[in-house]
Amino acid sequence: MTPTLVAVFFVAGGVVAAGAFGAAWRRDASAAVASIPVMFAGVGVAFAGVARFAAAGGQHLLGQELAVLLAIAALALLGLGLGIAGRESAR
Amino acid sequence: MDSLHAIGFYVSSGVLLLGGLGVALMPGRDLRGLAMAAAGAGLAGVYVSLSAAFAAIVALVCYLGCAVLVAGPGYRSVESVVSPMWRQVGAAGAAALLAVLAYVAFRGDFVTARYSAGPLDLGAVANLLLAHDTLATEAIAALALAAAAGAAAAWRMRDRAR
Repeated sequence: MTPTLVAVFFVAGGVVAAGAFGAAWRRDASAAVASIPVMFAGVGVAFAGVARFAAAGGQHLLGQELAVLLAIAALALLGLGLGIAGRESAR
Repeated sequence: MDSLHAIGFYVSSGVLLLGGLGVALMPGRDLRGLAMAAAGAGLAGVYVSLSAAFAAIVALVCYLGCAVLVAGPGYRSVESVVSPMWRQVGAAGAAALLAVLAYVAFRGDFVTARYSAGPLDLGAVANLLLAHDTLATEAIAALALAAAAGAAAAWRMRDRAR
């Protein structure tokens, strides 16, 4: 069964929903912040899938580029969120 | 896509989904860090099977960094005062989001369309930043990441010195 754009979107939707569930379900705010990179991962999968299956005309790097930016943004956001949480809990 | 790529895609997708659910459901921060690392490995596998090797390397490094942040000694737990009812409403909302995204995925396809980007020609700007000068954009993103990490570290060190 060859993966298609629809299969990639299904995976991406599942990952985004898992991240949203974690952000809503966790009582610990730091753990909720840790679910945001999971949502970003789902979005990145969707972008990379579009870049992979958009076969018309040359290379499509835009989707891959956005996936890279999302991974970096996820790390920055988590670092900032946990840093703020550590500062607030230390008070 | 040959069968090896297909197997890699489905196995990596399973690892990514299980890792994401582990981040949401695992009890301790060590286990959540492991789940985050598994999610990063799965994400990198998905990217490789989608022919995005560079994105896979960056994603693996970034999500391993996320795992270290979640499982590391600097992690502090902050209990919120949200009532259980609102948490259940949020979980139901996540289920509804999954249903909507599954419907969108089922209907997903490419269309032929022309997009007018207005007087600023934002399409050309996006092509310049995300296709032509890709490495420069990545460098700016990495600089922003270093600035955010440095600001958080300086903030906490100043707080500790008080």
